[in-house]
Amino acid sequence: MSAYLGIDIGSRVVKVVLVGAHGRVLARAVAPAGIDGPAIAAELTARVCAEAGVGPREVGYTVATGYGRVRFCEADAEVSEITCHARGARHLVPGARTVIDIGGQDSKVIALDEQGRVADFCMNDRCAAGTGRFLEVTAEALGLSVEGLAAEHALARQPVTISSTCTVFAESEVISHLARGTPRPEIVAGLHHAIASRLLGMAGRVGLTPVVVCTGGVAQNAGVIAALEAIGKVAITVPPDAQLAGALGAALIAAARAAERR
Amino acid sequence: MGRYARLESALELGRLMERHYAEALDRRHLRPVAWVNAGAPVELLRAMDVLAVYPENYAAMCGVRGALWLCEVAEGAGYSRDLCSYARISLGASLSGPSAPYEGLGRPDLLICCNNSCGTIVKWFEALGRLFEAPLFVIDTPYVHDGLPGHAAAYVAAQLQELIHWLERVAARRLHPGALEEALRLSREVTLLWREIRSYCRTRPSPLNAPDLFTHMAPIVVLRGTAEAVAYYRRLRDEVRQRAQRGVGAIPNERYRLLWDNIAIWSHLSRFYYLFAAHGACFVTDTYTGAWDAVPEEGDPIESLARVYTTIYLNRSLRFRLGQMEQLMQDYACDGFVMHNNRSCKAFSLGQPSARRRLADATGAPGLLLEADMCDTRAYAEGQVRARVEAFLETLAGRAG
Repeated sequence: MSAYLGIDIGSRVVKVVLVGAHGRVLARAVAPAGIDGPAIAAELTARVCAEAGVGPREVGYTVATGYGRVRFCEADAEVSEITCHARGARHLVPGARTVIDIGGQDSKVIALDEQGRVADFCMNDRCAAGTGRFLEVTAEALGLSVEGLAAEHALARQPVTISSTCTVFAESEVISHLARGTPRPEIVAGLHHAIASRLLGMAGRVGLTPVVVCTGGVAQNAGVIAALEAIGKVAITVPPDAQLAGALGAALIAAARAAERR
Repeated sequence: MGRYARLESALELGRLMERHYAEALDRRHLRPVAWVNAGAPVELLRAMDVLAVYPENYAAMCGVRGALWLCEVAEGAGYSRDLCSYARISLGASLSGPSAPYEGLGRPDLLICCNNSCGTIVKWFEALGRLFEAPLFVIDTPYVHDGLPGHAAAYVAAQLQELIHWLERVAARRLHPGALEEALRLSREVTLLWREIRSYCRTRPSPLNAPDLFTHMAPIVVLRGTAEAVAYYRRLRDEVRQRAQRGVGAIPNERYRLLWDNIAIWSHLSRFYYLFAAHGACFVTDTYTGAWDAVPEEGDPIESLARVYTTIYLNRSLRFRLGQMEQLMQDYACDGFVMHNNRSCKAFSLGQPSARRRLADATGAPGLLLEADMCDTRAYAEGQVRARVEAFLETLAGRAG
């Protein structure tokens, strides 16, 4: 049996996907990166192989992506997260022309051409605004878990304005809103609006051609998606397994490279 | 991976620059020392026997060696971190005396600057003036939107006349008849040589990569209008021409040809450009070293100087600069371009996000906008830069099919 491995070692979370022939997903695994992403990646690799009943030698090709990829020595190739996310998103949503990926410490907007190749991209620079980390920090200030943010957002009548998209300043803004007695759902909705405007600002650099797909861990937060749709006036598709798009893309590239090698 | 081909002229370049900076420090000669910016009309100083020294070039050389500590010295003295890193390095080095790199830059007798590059330069030179108690002459060049109007050229020419009188008064110098014409003739010759050298990069593979251009541009800035610069560039021209004729490329296996926009990332000169060279991507042309490509016209020397220094690249509209970049991409057959969004240089970086879109639309080639700084290493994040560069190169590879 032939199997191909995609490993996405992100700044916060490690994702591993094993695919078989025709890109069928055989197994997947996700775990926090902690302080040693490559070690977690090795553990998850063993786990997905065991789950799929694939021996280590049966893995035909491995592609690593994400920030930790440079330190991970067991891959056949390294491919940037832009290329991997584009490939994964296009596989999950075949008509995708724009990918908004919101990761732990970096977010990106990727424009695809009609053939699904990367035409242009834009990433946030040197700032955690518009990333998952922004939500983690501000959720903590609100006494909420990241998972609880979407439910809280749903209760909001009118989002407050969070004027700063700097993570540190936004946190102090949240605290002053709480001190003023602003209802928590409205603060949460305000945060989601802030992150969405920041992302749409980046999207403005590369264009926002439908079909727009959102990937990355934050895509699971319905509040952020609602804010993106409201401000960007565009429908957004969130595929199942949105968080795994990068690892899936890496696995699909691995399969293609193995085919080239034959 | 093949090795990076070094130019033989590099050795001579080192000697030339060493001699120049030794002269700046050696106060046994009787010539007054003027610190000037890259956009100052240095030919006038040559003709009046004033030694011109460039704090910007010095800052770039410090940047290559690692100059964060000099930035921090300036910040400690109250200069904002948002200020140009050349300015901070220059002020930091001036405050540090001989403990600065290369034993510092000594001290100026005079300061002359021209605001054709930016507004920061004036404030920076004013600060130097206070620090060294040296007199400052500022040349004001109006911004050029489309063409250069006659009244603007006349306004600058009048200031150049005033500069001559100022030097006569402050430095007791005379303008010798024929000396200005001679300095301009040498300037013209060196500029034409520089233009010729850059033009050999149209050859495939390109005989030079951006780091070569960045390193070898030093004499055209600091020794423009001298016979030594002409001799040096003749030698470099011969070497580059020979490379082009023999099909010797600057990098092994050139696959992609790129245009570079903005000042070099001096602090990572080899490491950063190696990220590209390792994938066969060569920067065959750029807007930075091309800024010294303007040839002074024949005719009245003062009018010619006024024209050439007012119409420099940084003093012109975004529309003009876009046109230049588009032309360069075409002439040098570029597959893509990289814009350095330089935190230090507002004049170079303003408008880049929209310029990137427009240039990509006009040429059909992909462009990368990269946030960094020419010397301040705190603005350069290795992991983030690497992620962007690799994604960009994969995009180029995807297009090449």
